[in-house]
Amino acid sequence: MLIDAQQAFSKTSDDGSSDAVIRRVQEGDQAAFAQLYREHHRRVYALCLRLLADKDYAEDVTQEVFVQLWHKIAQFKGQSKFTTWLHSVTSNIAISYLRQHKNWLQKVVSIEGAGMDESSVTLCKGLNGLDKLIVRLPERARMVFVLHAIEGYRHEEIATMLSMAVGSSKSQYHRARQLLMEWYDNE
Amino acid sequence: MNKPDFDTFVSQSIAEPSEIAPDKDLWPGIERAINGEVTSVANSSYWPKVTGIAACFMAGLVAWQVVVKQPDYDTMASMSHFFEQQKHVLLVKYETQPAIVNDWQIQLQELENAEQAVKLALQNDPENAALLKMLAQVYQQQLDLINKVHEPRWQQI
Repeated sequence: MLIDAQQAFSKTSDDGSSDAVIRRVQEGDQAAFAQLYREHHRRVYALCLRLLADKDYAEDVTQEVFVQLWHKIAQFKGQSKFTTWLHSVTSNIAISYLRQHKNWLQKVVSIEGAGMDESSVTLCKGLNGLDKLIVRLPERARMVFVLHAIEGYRHEEIATMLSMAVGSSKSQYHRARQLLMEWYDNE
Repeated sequence: MNKPDFDTFVSQSIAEPSEIAPDKDLWPGIERAINGEVTSVANSSYWPKVTGIAACFMAGLVAWQVVVKQPDYDTMASMSHFFEQQKHVLLVKYETQPAIVNDWQIQLQELENAEQAVKLALQNDPENAALLKMLAQVYQQQLDLINKVHEPRWQQI
């Protein structure tokens, strides 16, 4: 059984100082926002890279996340962990970005985006063992796997986020697992 | 040493928070955006939307040609004509606006070279779906490049 890494992640990252920083950002303190960026941008970028499997896209979306964060942080009421909320914002922006950047043929004839090829994976710095495999997955399988196995979303939630049937989310998840297992065994 | 089974490998990997530093410093672009050093959203979002709508229309046309082949129809020519118009509109729009990188025209030239290579291949096989798809992608990359280098929002220092 896969653990809910999002929760594990949240427990280790939210501490008293972060709460204080968030409050200062909510009051419009840009220096505090710079600190918030320094604390969280590597994790946001890592999530973007996993979801998008494209370094340039991941950089664009990381910037977009922090720009939107600056404008929307007043909406964060502390009902969930800040990192959980930030991951949710990041996931939604990444999905929206990918929709906008599909080329015309992908949009019309539903051609699925491919993952990174092996040479691009080698050139991409900072990917750990599992990430190196995830970014090679085809688009839909990759997004479902990251959202379900890593971010802890239920298939019903993923189906809504990605505009697909619940059954499709489940089958894409199994497809992702099969491919990852095959690549892992052949490593 | 034996490697762990797949589920153990996955569990161990995702239990550790993943942190990756981007190659670029992304903060300057964010700082500019939040300080309002960007064109208004209304202005900047208009042309990408127009381009997107136009691109979708073209996609429909290309997909129709790919799926329902019409031997007497020159898909490449209509696609090229359409995109030359789109490209021209963008280049005129950004004519007086400085680009955020100096070598964008070199990058554009490289894409145009790729476009020529694909067109050459299409002369031998005019309705080859894979080649038409490739040409569509090269055109899209050109439009994306022109938009991106003139979009001040993500300027890097």
